[in-house]
Amino acid sequence: MKRSFIISCVLVLMCCLLAACGANSNSGANTGNDAAGTGGSNAQKEVTIKLYQQKVEIAEQLKVLKAEYEKTHPGVKIEIESVLSSQYGTKLKAKLAANEMPDIFNNGGYSDMDVWADHLEDLTDQPWVSDAVDSAKAPMMKDGKLYGFPLSLEGSGLVYNKDMFAKAGITELPKTLSELEEASKKLKAQGYTPFVNDYASVWDLGITIFDSFMAKVPDTDKFIADLNSGAATFAGNDVFKGLPKYLDIAMKNGNPNPLTTDYNTSMTMFATGQGAMIPAGNWIQPLVDKINPNIQAGLMPMPVSDDADFNKNAVFTSPTVWVVNKNSPVKEQAKEFLNWLVTSDIGKQYVAKEFKLVPAFKSIKADPADVGSIGADLTKFSEEGNSLPMQASKMPEGLYTEIAQSMQKYVAGKSTPDQMLAEFQASWNKLKK
Amino acid sequence: MGNNRASINMHPVLERSSKLERGSSVKRWITSQWMQQAFFVGPAILFYSIVIAIPFFFGIYYSMTSWDGVSGNAVWVGLNNFSTIFLKDPEFGQSFWFTTRFTLTAVILNNVIGFALAYLLSLPLKSRSAIRTIFFLPNVLGGLVLGFIWQFILVQGFPGIGKLTHLSFFTLPWLGTEATAYWALIIVSVWQGAGYLMVIYIAGLANVPKDLIEASVIDGAGKWQILKNIIIPLIMPTVTVCLFISISWTFKMFDLNYSLTSGGPYGSTESVAMNIYNEAFGNNRYGLGTAKALIFFVAVTFITLIQVKLTKSREVEM
Repeated sequence: MKRSFIISCVLVLMCCLLAACGANSNSGANTGNDAAGTGGSNAQKEVTIKLYQQKVEIAEQLKVLKAEYEKTHPGVKIEIESVLSSQYGTKLKAKLAANEMPDIFNNGGYSDMDVWADHLEDLTDQPWVSDAVDSAKAPMMKDGKLYGFPLSLEGSGLVYNKDMFAKAGITELPKTLSELEEASKKLKAQGYTPFVNDYASVWDLGITIFDSFMAKVPDTDKFIADLNSGAATFAGNDVFKGLPKYLDIAMKNGNPNPLTTDYNTSMTMFATGQGAMIPAGNWIQPLVDKINPNIQAGLMPMPVSDDADFNKNAVFTSPTVWVVNKNSPVKEQAKEFLNWLVTSDIGKQYVAKEFKLVPAFKSIKADPADVGSIGADLTKFSEEGNSLPMQASKMPEGLYTEIAQSMQKYVAGKSTPDQMLAEFQASWNKLKK
Repeated sequence: MGNNRASINMHPVLERSSKLERGSSVKRWITSQWMQQAFFVGPAILFYSIVIAIPFFFGIYYSMTSWDGVSGNAVWVGLNNFSTIFLKDPEFGQSFWFTTRFTLTAVILNNVIGFALAYLLSLPLKSRSAIRTIFFLPNVLGGLVLGFIWQFILVQGFPGIGKLTHLSFFTLPWLGTEATAYWALIIVSVWQGAGYLMVIYIAGLANVPKDLIEASVIDGAGKWQILKNIIIPLIMPTVTVCLFISISWTFKMFDLNYSLTSGGPYGSTESVAMNIYNEAFGNNRYGLGTAKALIFFVAVTFITLIQVKLTKSREVEM
């Protein structure tokens, strides 16, 4: 009697458990159907748009924006998750494997777009398309269709502390590698550390610095094609001869232990005046402002050679792109949200003022006071036409990590310039498709 | 139980009444041996196959494709991935060599320190349970958290102490060079693992019969002789378990590696698990990654089998 009673109790409990699981998945499917049925209009049931993005710099502002949107759009909830760029890709793949794909996520364009092609919603018919800047749309165009929403334009090079430069008596920004070394000497004479080197971050080495050289190669697309076919090599390229020289100058005039200095530490160091220059872009503005609101930072091209004219247009721009998951049950709501972001007054205000981003839309004008001093410099460079497109996303997947490791090896004194370039080549050959 | 006894006492003719028959056959089915086993082991088998067995066989399939982990179609490439690993991927060999070196050092230190702690803490000390807890505590923290804490200690804390004391140990560029990153990993993994092994060794030591030790003391054996000739042979089964656990731990180390050094500087401390992870998720070559994982699986199985066989042969039956 007793035993059968216990067995039946356990069975009942298990049934409850199973039923609960079943009910859960059912309700999930229901909201999906509802959302698809009612389209973009206010759905009866509450829907949740999952936004998974890699700009940790705007994580706080996004939370406020989310509250604004939920206020005016009853029934729609936004769930935001922000993750550092260096971890973003792998975590997104983990989400895909776990069948928890977000509704809106980041994409790097070009080869990254090809990888995720099966998951991208065609956005060509969206109302904001004609307003977006062409150069920002380029990485996300395929067969005449647009697959991404460019949130902002970004530019990178060397971010510098204007006050320190003024105090050290540097009136002309260094345009060549020798001038960079001169400027470093002047900064050192004032007791400043010229460079903040965060070489623990593979992102900054493999993308910010490496791309400054890659994009300077004349006819980059041909160079990439030649690298793939074996007709060109890194060692045989003139531009890349400057890379070890730049690293030498930065190491000689940099902070101690660059190989254990990571992104967050380097931000604190730059913002608190423990260094005058850092390879970065306008995306660091909100972080730096938070640590030290009084800092006057500027952006300059990273010199790659001793030819001043060759170095003048070396601020690299690339858009931050959000894409919509094609297989999402709430993709209509997701598109509606993106549209709201760049057409409504509140949305526009956030894009231009609160995010401190340089907008990628013609109708949203960025005020230098809002986008910060780095963003203002970037706007100046891109308006003068002195900018080049970023190349990172045209390169083989995972290349930047290996490139960064080869560069770490070089700055640690474990390889020669020739060996470093040979390692670049080996990594490229290994990873090319 | 009462029911069963009743049915035995009942007259066979009475028992054949049809209603009773049906009821008891259902009951018999529910309480049968097979049903009981299915009930208690079934859920475990179900989850084991969903979480481990089925993905494992999927893995074998993917290791023979060039799948990128994202797209809808995986192209069959046969054994190409394996030849790429053996012929064109020196990094995999390097990370294997690093992992082997690391495992050797970490396993020896882990077990020596774990045993020493256990031996000292089985002495009649006043505060021994408190000390045992303290040594076991690091094991309660997860590897990821531990890695980030130690990264802070090594990168920020040590130079701070170094500035005050001028001890060269603290002013080393921790995590910045190959050697310091290697030893930092060893220090943290021993700090984390020794306490756990200590608990197992304490249990082993408690099982050594007191009369044997008393007899040896009467025979005039010293402390070292007792340890070497009586205690260690008698706790060989525990040594087998501890070696097995620590070898498979350190060989498969990932979370600590990921959070403490991320394989750096310049990939010199990249464990095999991390190399696999980077290949599959960083380089978008999922097929190649699973092929590496398969090789790794075979290697780990092989090594632990040898170890169990070796230490088993040294066990003493009482």
